[in-house]
Amino acid sequence: MRNCRRHWWALTVGMALGMLTTTAVLAGPADSAFAARSARVLEVAAGESEYNLLTIAAKLKTGHDVPRAHHMLDSLTRDRAMGGMFYCYTLIGVYLHTRDVLPDALARKIREAFRVRTMYRGDTENHWVMYYTGLYLASQTWPDEPGTMWFNGKSSAENFSESRAWLEYWMKTTSTIGQGEFDSPTYMTVFLAPMLVLHEFALEGTMKKRAGMMADLLLADFAAEHLEGSYGGGHSRDYPEDIINPLGAPSTMWAWLYFGRPQFEQWNEVRYRPRHRGSWETVFAALSSYRLPGVIERMALDRAQPYVHREKKRTRNIIRFQSEKNLPVYKYTFMTKDYVLGSLQGGILQPIQQHTWDVTFASPEPHNTLFTLHPFVSARELAMFFPEEQAFLAAEVDRYHKVYTSPDKWNSSSPYEQTFQHRGSLIVLYNIDAGAQHPHIDGFFPANLEERTEDRSGWIFCRKGQVYIGVYALAPYSWIKEEVNWRLRSNVLRNGVVVEVSSQSEAGSFEEFTGELRNRKPEVRNFNTTLTAAFMTRDGKRMQFTYGGKRLLDGRAVTFPVDKLFDGRWMQSTVGTGVIRMTDGVRTRTLDFPRAQVTDN
Amino acid sequence: MIRRSALFFPILAAWSAVQLPAQESTVYFSVVATKLFVVGAANPNTGVHLQHPSADTGWTHIGPNNIRAFGVAVHPGTGQQVIYIASGNGLHKSSDGGKTWRITTGWNITEVLGVCPDPRDAQTVYLTCAYGIFRTTDGCSSWKECNTGIASTFTTCVLVDNAHPEIVYCASEGGAYKSTNRGESWSRMGLSVAGVRTIAQHPTDPEFLMVGTENNGIYVSTNGGRWWSKCESGIDHPTFYTIAFDPQRPSTIYAAGYVTGVYKSTDSGSTWKRMNNGLDVLTFHSVAVDPRNSARVYAGAYRGGIFRSDDGAASWRRTGVADSQVWTVVIHP
Repeated sequence: MRNCRRHWWALTVGMALGMLTTTAVLAGPADSAFAARSARVLEVAAGESEYNLLTIAAKLKTGHDVPRAHHMLDSLTRDRAMGGMFYCYTLIGVYLHTRDVLPDALARKIREAFRVRTMYRGDTENHWVMYYTGLYLASQTWPDEPGTMWFNGKSSAENFSESRAWLEYWMKTTSTIGQGEFDSPTYMTVFLAPMLVLHEFALEGTMKKRAGMMADLLLADFAAEHLEGSYGGGHSRDYPEDIINPLGAPSTMWAWLYFGRPQFEQWNEVRYRPRHRGSWETVFAALSSYRLPGVIERMALDRAQPYVHREKKRTRNIIRFQSEKNLPVYKYTFMTKDYVLGSLQGGILQPIQQHTWDVTFASPEPHNTLFTLHPFVSARELAMFFPEEQAFLAAEVDRYHKVYTSPDKWNSSSPYEQTFQHRGSLIVLYNIDAGAQHPHIDGFFPANLEERTEDRSGWIFCRKGQVYIGVYALAPYSWIKEEVNWRLRSNVLRNGVVVEVSSQSEAGSFEEFTGELRNRKPEVRNFNTTLTAAFMTRDGKRMQFTYGGKRLLDGRAVTFPVDKLFDGRWMQSTVGTGVIRMTDGVRTRTLDFPRAQVTDN
Repeated sequence: MIRRSALFFPILAAWSAVQLPAQESTVYFSVVATKLFVVGAANPNTGVHLQHPSADTGWTHIGPNNIRAFGVAVHPGTGQQVIYIASGNGLHKSSDGGKTWRITTGWNITEVLGVCPDPRDAQTVYLTCAYGIFRTTDGCSSWKECNTGIASTFTTCVLVDNAHPEIVYCASEGGAYKSTNRGESWSRMGLSVAGVRTIAQHPTDPEFLMVGTENNGIYVSTNGGRWWSKCESGIDHPTFYTIAFDPQRPSTIYAAGYVTGVYKSTDSGSTWKRMNNGLDVLTFHSVAVDPRNSARVYAGAYRGGIFRSDDGAASWRRTGVADSQVWTVVIHP
């Protein structure tokens, strides 16, 4: 009987999805694979028992356990403790996707929630995207109503106008000077899912178009630095659990859905078990008519040729101690089929959760990454970005982000960290103030490396599968064994590492890699006075980097490409234009945000 | 944010003489967050709470919750019908004593930290936020940015002069500023320190100003902000978020801040004593004195709720929201 019931449910899911995918564009192999993965997302999400608006949507759309879905939805609309930007956009998203099957009583309760429930707008970019997406769609859905019908006292017209103005401002800012909360394996979810809902339901043609373009942009931004399900390189912000286990991040769920990588279902893998099991925002993608453009899919998957990819982003708004509101962020990422080495330029670019650099490698096992950081703690840093009193900001942030003040944390910005990268080679320098709360640097070396050898040359040689990593510590260090990793710790204030990453296809055997690297020791003369390190890369380029000074490549100063928003094999854009060109050499897709036009060639 | 006790004293004197000697004051306080706060999650006890002192520990929540409420103010002369809440969502206004509310600001004004209505003009209100000062002169229908002359726009407190409404003061990251044209332009007052967090004015002597700073203690000026001197005697802490005059006995002043407990001066700020009997937390963001009863003082604590003294701060007891971060306390006569 139980099997029969399951069979019936699967059949129902299949029928429902068959109807859903009739809107799919050109049912080629990629589309059918996407449709199958979408069906799987809905099937699994519909089976979840957690009270969650997205799993409710999955239940209602697939017809699985509808009475329970009604009960759950009723509960979530009655719970006066609910409210906020997450609730705002998911509630209207679920309503719009399911209104044709919703009982009138529940539909009325959803409408009522927008009157009686305070939707907190939040204090960061992703919050505002969710809040204004939700408010835009809700006020569009219930137009011509007075302020008494809305939680904020504004009429439908006022809410719609304000939401539209901010969304247009955000799209313009993001497409011209870069995203503030950029490239976050966790937070990309709460930019992308709202855009998919907005694209699906906005009645204004321009807004609908730009929302789809933003989905393109967010996914292309991910695709260019994607490797087998992992989001490689530097991130504006992320959680330590996801930084040390990239395949556990929510971005992996999106990679699986849109790129078909990794080739396992994240939620079924104990070893990759995501922190956010309830991260079912992909339900909105599975229900959406949005389809990933082929050029972006190829960007995500074609790693036949190594490439350098550069991006310019911005900091989130700086409100104190600095006259410039948004400082530029420069990203440099080197992609191969086996690994990603990527870095931000260093310094305080985001509070709390910055991830400045890493090497992430393709691997069937978890913890497929290696990086170093300085665990910086500063109330002043927090006060640059948050309006509360700096004297107790650190304690306040620590209360809900748990690790901010920890000396062992795996995410941190630091004013004492700077990087210089050339392809697979990286110099990271630290000049830590003697008064710093945690005057040490830490390095994350996964415990499941197949090699982690301290060579007499000073190099630490690491190997995982076909990926080889050499790390040269510029100051004495020690090892601390932890649950999933070895922690390299160095208590020297003037510090640094030189990193060289390679692979079997590039360097031959591991022995060849190590033997060759032994002859290329970094130069660290007068390190304690000038804080300068130099290194000859495997392609014969001499990198020289002075902390706070120049980055030299073969004696020529390397400057950041200030006028390029994207610069690389797949993507090109000039700062300020709002025009992003994506190409795989055959196809070209151009997003023209000022004109709200997409051109495919 | 404004300390209402300073502004209401002249108005109170006039009212008291005529008709309201037996009425109670109303105490309002704002809650930014509770101990359980996580952005985006439930946070129902944030917002504004009020009571009449005779209710003791009974507080009534009014207005929206879940908003990170920083400031609260009541527009004088409106019979407590016009109430403002400064919050992460913007500036909320109620024109019916808290029954209904409207966010009066748009997307370009956020993280509103303080609000100060002009006591002589029901249409004029100033707000402070992470991006400076904004003013409305049409009852919150529209807002104008008023940052000309302010070097660092992170501004936490704005105060309308209680004698000359065209004069406005503000406390900003860059220092203490004064405007003589209702905020159209600002000049830095003769105080060299930065990180000014609060500014307060003597109830009857408009030339007597005090500021509390982050890391630089308390300063006093007796000539309208031209010259300042640091309050030294008895002060052992550097960071002060709040200064409150006793409206009935203005030589009595209270101040509090980061791990300070509550300081009290009875000689116009010349000497200070810590008055911490009964306090189990020491960081306070706001102190207010009941304009009808000098002995009754309220103090809002960081992660400690609201404390009350009925003996001029000689002893304290917690009277509500123990798990909460109270940002502003105001008392309306």
